Amino acid sequence: MNIRRFLSSSITIAEMEARKIRHDSTELWTRIIQPALWLLVFGETLNTIRAMPSGNFSYIQFITPGILAQSVLFISIFYGITVVWEKDVGIFTKLLSTPSPRSSIVLGKSLAAGIRGVFQAIMIFALALIIGVKIRFDPLDIAGVFVVVILFAMCFSSFSMFLASYLKTRDRMMGIGQALTMPLFFASNAIYPIAVMPIWLQYISIANPLSYVVDAIRSMLLSGAYGNLLVDILVLLVATVIFLTLASTTIKKLLE
Amino acid sequence: MNSDSDDPNMPEINAITADRLTKVYRDNIRAVDGISFSVKQGEIFGLLGPNGAGKTTTIKMIITLTKATSGTLHVLGVDVFKSPETVREMLGYVPQSISVDTDLTAYENLLIFSKLSYVDKMERNERIKDALEYMDLSSRAHDIVKRYSGGMMRRLEIAQALVNRPKILLLDEPSIGLDPSSKKQVWKNIKQLNQEFGVTILITTHDMNEADELCNRIAIMSEGKIAILGTPEELKRNVGGDIVTVNLTSVPSIMSLPKEIGRIINRNEKSIQILTTNGEEAIPLMADFFRGHEIRVESISINKANLDDVFMKYAKRRLEDDMYKATRITRRDFVRRAR
Ligand SMILES: Nc1ncnc2c1ncn2[C@@H]1O[C@H](COP(=O)(O)OP(=O)(O)O)[C@@H](O)[C@H]1O
Ligand SMILES: [Mg+2]
Repeated sequence: MNIRRFLSSSITIAEMEARKIRHDSTELWTRIIQPALWLLVFGETLNTIRAMPSGNFSYIQFITPGILAQSVLFISIFYGITVVWEKDVGIFTKLLSTPSPRSSIVLGKSLAAGIRGVFQAIMIFALALIIGVKIRFDPLDIAGVFVVVILFAMCFSSFSMFLASYLKTRDRMMGIGQALTMPLFFASNAIYPIAVMPIWLQYISIANPLSYVVDAIRSMLLSGAYGNLLVDILVLLVATVIFLTLASTTIKKLLE
Repeated sequence: MNSDSDDPNMPEINAITADRLTKVYRDNIRAVDGISFSVKQGEIFGLLGPNGAGKTTTIKMIITLTKATSGTLHVLGVDVFKSPETVREMLGYVPQSISVDTDLTAYENLLIFSKLSYVDKMERNERIKDALEYMDLSSRAHDIVKRYSGGMMRRLEIAQALVNRPKILLLDEPSIGLDPSSKKQVWKNIKQLNQEFGVTILITTHDMNEADELCNRIAIMSEGKIAILGTPEELKRNVGGDIVTVNLTSVPSIMSLPKEIGRIINRNEKSIQILTTNGEEAIPLMADFFRGHEIRVESISINKANLDDVFMKYAKRRLEDDMYKATRITRRDFVRRAR
């Protein structure tokens, strides 16, 4: 496989998505509603009653990285649905009939999920500014958050495409998406520290990629303590490569 | 009939060669059952057959969307199963149901897919502009395709082939669900692609008129097998030829025709029906013959043998049913996509 062609096709697939978003960005904007509710209602409420041991930070500060990660998770985990939809209307067939390698289609789609993730991050930053959540707006840290968000979106969107290769219908993807997101979210450090969880849940949360993402974002946006950052990113990177590879080899099954 | 002898004057390799190609789906459905055929470079080759005959499955194996169960398949000498990406680079594909991206503009559809097909950057924009003009889509180039009619979407798909310039184009039922005038336009475009750009075309259809109009050679498929293969003329001859009806002032009781004119198959008081291989060529001979025998001819009419007859003879299932069903399915497709 020719690397230059592989990369150029991947970028073209991402460009295709970006152009669609430009024509109709309604979906992008509606995606801000849910995280806004989490921050404004859930965050503000628990902030005032001070029920959660959130360390040196206010509770709303504590969950902002968690809510960001959660909303990126939502975008990515449903990416398989997009692919199934494209199969149903014949676009996917067309994509697979081009000389572009199939792995570039997966990589391209996951990059597109990354673009959506970055947009989501920007909106959550804006929201945080508006409601006065104190986060460190250091340019390098913000750039780091973008990198983590992109990797995370790539990781779970390819996981979702991997599932789509076998599940094949929108309904099933909808079901599995719903069945996965909430457990992943609650079995992570997104809205409470790992320390307060029961032991069994602590183990699960250590195996949960979301925890590493939240940890990485938290260290960049809040504490500036980068002790775990390398491990966090490494775990994420490995998971991303695994899922990208898996999805690349299974995606053609979607047509069968 | 089934064997395609290679012309020694044409040393060229075949565009497509299938040998005992077979596809068995789950539950032992033999969608394609050991077919062998070859498509020559530069021709328009038709796979004709009722729904479920295995046409789409055959095309999907060629474009590497589905794996063959057994047999071999070569595109311009390249093994399809060993080098799928090389093969896809030589092929263009227009699937049975509309496959353009309705959330993009026509221009964007052409741009994205030409990039994915690695069309040279220097030529890309020129070709896109030309293709849009050629297909009469220039004025709507920057409209979202969602707002196009079915005929326009088909034209856009053919425009994609114009931009990507594949050596071989696979067209799966290109005129299904189109109104007669759009259909004519699509036929014209297909012929132009073949004649002006030298694209070899493999087309599937269940419409005999379409096959007759477009194809140099036709294979009639039925239940996964090729029932007969040949030029439209050969196939028609195979069902007997044209029937010429001659109306006379009076029919002589005893009369036999020279062999080169044809054979009388029916006669009544004032007319005779003659079966002949080629009606147009036989008519002058008949006129001369009757004049020679001092018989007055009032009128002559031809009933050309058509592929319908061939189709009925070789394809087992009833056709009208299929056409009706197929059109309805596509309609539903359009409705769904028009949302
Ligand atoms: N993905 C599939 N799984 C199982 N059977 C299939 C599949 N695709 C097609 N078939 C079956 O294979 C046969 C040939 O189908 P197809 O190639 O679509 O025919 P055509 O294009 O000539 O209408 C049909 O009996 C059809 O039901
Ligand atoms: Mg078909």
